[in-house]
Amino acid sequence: MKGGALNGIKVVELATMVSGPYCAKLLADLGADIIKIEPPEGDPARQCGPFPQSKPHPERSALFLYNNTSKRGITLNLDMPAGRRAFKDLIKWADILIDNYPPQRLESLGLPWDTMKRMNPGLVYTSITPYGRTGPRADVKGDELTIIHAAGLGNLMPVRSFDVSRAPVKMGGYAIGYHGGLTAAFATLGAIMGRLKTGRGQLIDISLQEVILALMRVNVTGTRYHRTRWCRVPDRPPAMGRMKASDGYIVVGVIEDHHWRAFRELMGNPDWAAGPQWESLYYRTHHLMEIVPQLDEWMLGQKKEDIHHKGAKKGIPMGPINSAKEIMENEQYAARGYFVEVEHPEAGKYKYAGWPYQMTASPPCACRPAPLLGQHNQEVICDILGYSPAAFSRLQRSGAIGTQTPKGGK
Amino acid sequence: MLPLGGVRVADFSWVWAGPYSTMLLATLGAEVIKVEGHKRTDLTRHSVVWALPDPAPTAVLPNQGMSFNSVNMSKKSVTLDLSKPEGVRLAKRIALMSDVVADNLRPGAMVRLGLGYEKLRKERPDIIVLSSSSRGQKGPQWDYGGYATIHHSIGGGAYITGYPDDAPSHSGGDVDLINGTGMAFAVLAALYHRAQTGEGQFIDYSQCEGVSSLNGDVLLGYEMTSQVPERMGNAHRVYAPHNVYRCWGVDRWLALEIHSNEEFSILAKVIGRPELAQDPRFATMAARKRNEAGLDKIIGEWIRLRDRDWMVNEFCKAGLAAAPSRDAYDLYADPHLRARSAFVTINHPEIGQLELVGMPWKMSDCAAVLNRAPLLGEHNDYVLRELLGLSRKEITELRKKEIIK
Repeated sequence: MKGGALNGIKVVELATMVSGPYCAKLLADLGADIIKIEPPEGDPARQCGPFPQSKPHPERSALFLYNNTSKRGITLNLDMPAGRRAFKDLIKWADILIDNYPPQRLESLGLPWDTMKRMNPGLVYTSITPYGRTGPRADVKGDELTIIHAAGLGNLMPVRSFDVSRAPVKMGGYAIGYHGGLTAAFATLGAIMGRLKTGRGQLIDISLQEVILALMRVNVTGTRYHRTRWCRVPDRPPAMGRMKASDGYIVVGVIEDHHWRAFRELMGNPDWAAGPQWESLYYRTHHLMEIVPQLDEWMLGQKKEDIHHKGAKKGIPMGPINSAKEIMENEQYAARGYFVEVEHPEAGKYKYAGWPYQMTASPPCACRPAPLLGQHNQEVICDILGYSPAAFSRLQRSGAIGTQTPKGGK
Repeated sequence: MLPLGGVRVADFSWVWAGPYSTMLLATLGAEVIKVEGHKRTDLTRHSVVWALPDPAPTAVLPNQGMSFNSVNMSKKSVTLDLSKPEGVRLAKRIALMSDVVADNLRPGAMVRLGLGYEKLRKERPDIIVLSSSSRGQKGPQWDYGGYATIHHSIGGGAYITGYPDDAPSHSGGDVDLINGTGMAFAVLAALYHRAQTGEGQFIDYSQCEGVSSLNGDVLLGYEMTSQVPERMGNAHRVYAPHNVYRCWGVDRWLALEIHSNEEFSILAKVIGRPELAQDPRFATMAARKRNEAGLDKIIGEWIRLRDRDWMVNEFCKAGLAAAPSRDAYDLYADPHLRARSAFVTINHPEIGQLELVGMPWKMSDCAAVLNRAPLLGEHNDYVLRELLGLSRKEITELRKKEIIK
């Protein structure tokens, strides 16, 4: 991991599914040393898939493999005293603890924040929960569907709905987990920058609801102070946005007047769009619906990728709505080397999504595949925690690292 | 002590994504100097993110756009005419006094101004430059433009959002702000790297790729199966029930997700149908998923006749994951967000008191810095006199030549 920006930062991850693991992955791919602790039965993301040939296998789940690159993994049963002891030793070793269990989990193990802080005053403890650690909803459950609606983003979609009797929908995929993980990674690194000055760690309380609310800040204040209602049914006629082409959908962002002039030219200057009045944003905003049938008909005669290039070259902001297949085949992504090949001993070799940031001095890298379940038990417990081989065997026999036989080598 | 105290950022970005990335740095204590052309100000200063119907979109005065005030908090503002060499010279001096230079102009624009990374690093080798753009600085589409809606579409978020039998749905400004978060994260990593090694660097951020990285499992899943993941509405591959249900009233909706048999039996009790937990159609997750439509009908009929917030309370008290589909008014009224001080009140000299959204973390030892966004050119004197050391006479001269406002 030569050259990674975060070389030397030691992280313990006690997290499952997406938010905590993605937070730790972001740090790991930049060179931080991550020890992921799984319960003996494994992170539930191992069961989620998708899987190669759609055959479920705990070492082949795409959700797990993507979110756990560059980490080492161990299994610990924290409900057993020996497992807890090893966990406490890791807390003393770490600079950062990333946790997305309810706070009661660590408290019930005798490890509330105050205790961990005494054990390791430099520890940055990032705690990710659905609604945060305080307030009337601190104990309420929440996940992808409930949080996105609780925080106001679900209410905006599907965008440009014409059928109000249909429910608003969540964003596809694990939006809450990923957005929460990225936000938590930013805050965690912020606290690490602070620690460079003070030597002290701190508790970071991340509420997933507030992560999404923060992204809604413009919509929310716009509603309150400008009275522009934001929901899936716009409160005034939409202009451009999503349009249907012959082979899919494309999103067009004709906002400024020069965009409109270029777009009209792209359409071949039709008579129905002639006239200087159309060159004013104000006029277009309130009259565009009059020519929507013609605009739609024209776009239906186009191929989305072809018209994307023609339009973008004229300076019109536009882009096709891409499927996963189209993204994997995208020439721009390929030219930038966005995808990286990762070979995993059980799952095989695949192209993984990389990082949107290219850094000249400390490039990110998926330097090792996601860990097999318990793959680094011995390495971590002996080499990092300094247990003797005999002490490790005792730990193994006690069942505190689970009963599975680690597969594969170091 | 603030985490980024002593770090200075020269901010040449505008609209939403770039400004939010530097605002994030400002909330951790960085001194962010927003540089605007005084004839070409950040367009969000005037806009409401959506044109008002009357009397004209320009009705919003330059310091009063709510999107500007939401994504430029805690910054300083300086105005320079960057179409004149003297303006650019001053901008360069500001850049060289900074640890980080950020822009989201069209690729190449900063280089043309003589403010590109290669030029700046010659005079300040440890400088960190963040250039964000729609598609990235290199590659065949380097000069294509885009907005949040377009990045969400190209990056793969839109395709999987919406109903399976209807059009895909792109998202909007939230995409810019999450990309801003990604940019700020990369800058923090570069600052940490510099603290360890003394080395600066150039960060080339693609906002389309920013969306794709938040869908990495979807892309890897396609690689593994050759099956294109499609839209699923509010449904989940495994869990059921998992939907948004219509409540009593107009356009009021409740989201409910059940992840286990225990939770389902609680739900069955709350809706007065305890026998459903033993019903072979619904007793296991797999059975519920198979009979999801019938199950949604039963639950939906119960929910349809009742008050949203009452039901959310009952479900949550019983230990289930339930939430209203909130709009902006609901969010401002949410007692939980209030108890956590999720909003901050600031005083704006032209508008008055404003309640804006705070930052999405609570650090035990340091509160986020959240001051109002700067008025246009508010810090011209500070930047030119205190930072650059110009005399009062020189500044008057610059004003006369309209280099500054």
